[in-house]
Amino acid sequence: MRIYKQNKLPLHLRWELYPVKHEAGKKAEYGGSYMEELNWWEKEKKSSLYNEIRYMVPEILFLRGLKKENPRLWYISFPFHFGFYLGIGTLVLLVLGAFSMILGFPIAPGQGVLSSLSYYLTILLGFLGLTLGTVGTAALFRRRLKDPELRNYSSFSDYWNLAFIFAFFLVGLLAWLFHDHAFDGARAYIYSLLTFGGTPAEMAGNRTFLGTLSIILGSLLIAYIPLTHMSHMFMKYFIYHSVKWEDTPNLKGSRIEAAVLENLGLKPTWASPHIGADGHKTWAEIASSGPKEKK
Amino acid sequence: MKATLIRPQDISKPSKRLAQIRAEDLPPLPPPYEDFNTKTLTELKEEKIANVEASLDDTVAIGIPKPRTREEEEKYLKAFLSGLRKLFEKENNWTFLQPLLLSMDHCAKCQTCSEACPVFEMSGRQEIYRPNFRSEVLRRIYRKYIKPFGRISAKLAGDIDLNWTTIARLAELAYRCTLCRRCASVCPIGVDNALITHEIRKLFSQELGIAPKEIHDKGTLQHLRVGSTTGMNPMAVKDSVDFIKEEMEEITGYKVEIPWDKEEAEVLLLHNAGEVLAWPENVGAFAIVFQAAGISWTLSSEELGYDVVNYGLWYDDVQMARVAVKHAEIARKLKVKKIIIGECGHAHKALTVVADRVLTGDLNIPRESALVLLDEIVESGKLKFDPSRNDFPVTLHDPCNVVRAMGIVEPQRRILRRIAPKFREMTPHGVDNYCCGGGSGFAIMSGYNFAEWRTLVSSRKKFLQILGAFKDEPLDVPKYVCAPCSNCKGSIRDILEYYQARERSHIYYGGLVELIVNAMAGMKKPLIKFEG
Repeated sequence: MRIYKQNKLPLHLRWELYPVKHEAGKKAEYGGSYMEELNWWEKEKKSSLYNEIRYMVPEILFLRGLKKENPRLWYISFPFHFGFYLGIGTLVLLVLGAFSMILGFPIAPGQGVLSSLSYYLTILLGFLGLTLGTVGTAALFRRRLKDPELRNYSSFSDYWNLAFIFAFFLVGLLAWLFHDHAFDGARAYIYSLLTFGGTPAEMAGNRTFLGTLSIILGSLLIAYIPLTHMSHMFMKYFIYHSVKWEDTPNLKGSRIEAAVLENLGLKPTWASPHIGADGHKTWAEIASSGPKEKK
Repeated sequence: MKATLIRPQDISKPSKRLAQIRAEDLPPLPPPYEDFNTKTLTELKEEKIANVEASLDDTVAIGIPKPRTREEEEKYLKAFLSGLRKLFEKENNWTFLQPLLLSMDHCAKCQTCSEACPVFEMSGRQEIYRPNFRSEVLRRIYRKYIKPFGRISAKLAGDIDLNWTTIARLAELAYRCTLCRRCASVCPIGVDNALITHEIRKLFSQELGIAPKEIHDKGTLQHLRVGSTTGMNPMAVKDSVDFIKEEMEEITGYKVEIPWDKEEAEVLLLHNAGEVLAWPENVGAFAIVFQAAGISWTLSSEELGYDVVNYGLWYDDVQMARVAVKHAEIARKLKVKKIIIGECGHAHKALTVVADRVLTGDLNIPRESALVLLDEIVESGKLKFDPSRNDFPVTLHDPCNVVRAMGIVEPQRRILRRIAPKFREMTPHGVDNYCCGGGSGFAIMSGYNFAEWRTLVSSRKKFLQILGAFKDEPLDVPKYVCAPCSNCKGSIRDILEYYQARERSHIYYGGLVELIVNAMAGMKKPLIKFEG
């Protein structure tokens, strides 16, 4: 829904912030732009996907910006975020494993290289993800509570969010510890989702309270995150690509110009007298007229 | 003693002052400026502020008249909420709707932004100047009073009361941020508190007609009415430029022609008209360089054509668009190939970047920074230089609007490396620079004791940076702060004057093009004089 809404928003005025990491060559590093070139509009605009990826991968995976600007927070924020990433990785492996089971290839040690690899990798990623997530969330909760600079701006929902996530990671970790050491139960749950209720023969009657609870919490969390500011996890894409790095110039006859013309046809209702808006005049008419109040 | 921690919801609780600037909280200045470490703001006289909102801190930027009746107060509140709603409507705020939504919805309140903010740091970490403070106030008002189920979500996500005190303080608080966007550049998510500040300013201007008189009444309104924010009409500017021409000829021995309203020139040079009045040598130096390099250029004597400023950028999208359209119309009429923006940072951003999505069709005339053209001229070898004429320590101030907002970082450095043998960088510099403290209109705002607040607080970091750049130089050696932006020059002039830096450390300031002319071989006298 959020992504759909973003795509429906009108083109805004340029508000980029340098360095813009898709700039080519050294410009991406020192923060230069194509506007450093004489008569830039006569030249082909160069951009570099390589520069962008080189920046974004460590930024997304390791929170490089936070490490540089706020290392004290990074030490607890990184395990929290990386725990999430590993959790997503585990989920992907579980889905692939469930598909494999449907196709008749069970995921277990000694069932071929791919099956074994998937089996052990799921355990590794799952365990690390749940552990890092639990530790990171607890540490973030504690910091928010103890640090006056954070506490002063924190509300019930900030603590609730962290408590919710902590509960998921902790219950997941306990379920792994006491029952589901190889995530077979979690994989069986995905299997049952994909097969509309089927259960792998070896898992019949093997449900546990902690396993069920972790699945419920995980499902609720997936539904809840997009409703909160934590959606920055994926909305960061828009923050960077639609604002911070959105430097596309308005060239004559371009799609940008078409969108600008559309915007200039909108009819504002701002009430200040100098604007002179009445709900009938367009932005274009107002911008090309003088302010109402003249002394 | 540290001030008690102020919470966002405290903004709505009436008190004499929400925050106070104290000398002991301000980061100390090094020798020989220790005597300024006990300085604080001159207290505002009660009779001067009796009828205006002055309960935020020790200064006043706008001076909003207090409502006299309950009905008047209600009217303000209704108008505020109406404006707030409009900020989130496509018809009214297509200009910044997407960036605003993204910054409103995704802040993790990690406070990483605070450490990057020179106003917060240099005020002794005053809570109300924390970049996220005003954003959080706006978020809470928006959630509680505009979004569905506001009363419930206020209990869960942070409560705030809306009253006259809240909105009057919020309006003032929007003018305690220079919109330098350092906070946005360090935010791990990309949230832009400066943008939220800009939107608060816009709400007040476009819906309630509230803005500092220097940027609205004497700013954009006068600009659109008379032709310049300086109040100069076309005749006055032509007279002044004639005088500049004579002065320049006398100083440099160089016969200079300044073309007016020449049709089909390659370049229409748009100056900040403040240069004509306060730094005429800048205008003259441009003429000398362009003439010597054989550039086909012209100035415009049409209203607005001799003043490239666009104060609308800081507070009002409609005023910004009106000024930009006028500038483009003048260029179209003169049939020039491109507009070159002189040494004025905010005009760079307004006309080249922000207004890029306002100007369409034949109004979309190419616009370029003067720094780029000057770099090309210096590199071309068309001018002969004797860099030893600039044999004094030079440091470069990076205007935020030129570097961080536009990505023009290297051209000015290439020039300085060629013509200023003792050039050294400030720390940090380039896109990581600190604002001069005069950004977003502060350089021209001086009502009440605001200029003093600027010098003591928002420009303090820049002063420390300047002192740092020259720390290894003897005090009696003349030094030059090169600031290729009129507003930055204005605030640097004020800090050098206030702290007596010329007398104590021989620090002078000026633009970039003056240094270029000063290094040109064959000039009769130096353009840059370390005197006075």
